[in-house]
Amino acid sequence: MIEIGRLCVKLAGRDAGKKCVIADVLDKNFVLIDGETRRRKCNIRHLEPLKDMIKIKKGAASSEISAEFKKLGIEVKETKKKEKAEKPKKLRGKDKKPSEEKPKKEKKKADKKEKPAEKKEAPKKETKKEEPKKK
Amino acid sequence: MPAGRHKSRTLRRVSRKTPGAKTTLQYKKRKPSKAKCGMCGAVLSGVPRERPKKMQNISKTKKRPERPFGGVLCPKCMRKIIKESIRE
Ligand SMILES: [Zn+2]
Repeated sequence: MIEIGRLCVKLAGRDAGKKCVIADVLDKNFVLIDGETRRRKCNIRHLEPLKDMIKIKKGAASSEISAEFKKLGIEVKETKKKEKAEKPKKLRGKDKKPSEEKPKKEKKKADKKEKPAEKKEAPKKETKKEEPKKK
Repeated sequence: MPAGRHKSRTLRRVSRKTPGAKTTLQYKKRKPSKAKCGMCGAVLSGVPRERPKKMQNISKTKKRPERPFGGVLCPKCMRKIIKESIRE
């Protein structure tokens, strides 16, 4: 029953109850699946094989599989590819800009917690207060 | 001795540490019963056992497993239902 091109229904996890196709047989226990579910390695115990078969090559791309699914009348949701986001850089010491950090802290903290924050940042605030006076 | 109104066991007793490093007895309302599977009655895991006010503050994803029938049926019964729906 477990072979490339076999339609299955996933039984476990967030994708349970969704249809998928076996794209590759990795192991005695594991297969690569794709289709309505996300493309992933899966234990064959978590699959319920169906009668239908699809003609696909070994390790077929998800775009080919989604095209085959559309022929059967099953719509596959297109998932956006994750773009690698830049890691937020931690600024330390002289590079720190007090003007950038201050508004964030004020937004997060509630009105009650503003008082201790003022005490800590007292030296910084003094510099800020001077600026508008000059203007 | 506990005060007269605290003698009955309707409220549960919780020992808490105070800021002064003493332990005191606090009296709290009892937690609701554990969540159970709608078909077989097995105790569900992944469903917190809190009073409704506290459940409001928990996010939806932390209140039940992220699968079909999560928080209603146990995984065994869910698989049964899916398999039956396929065979029809
Ligand atoms: Zn059950």
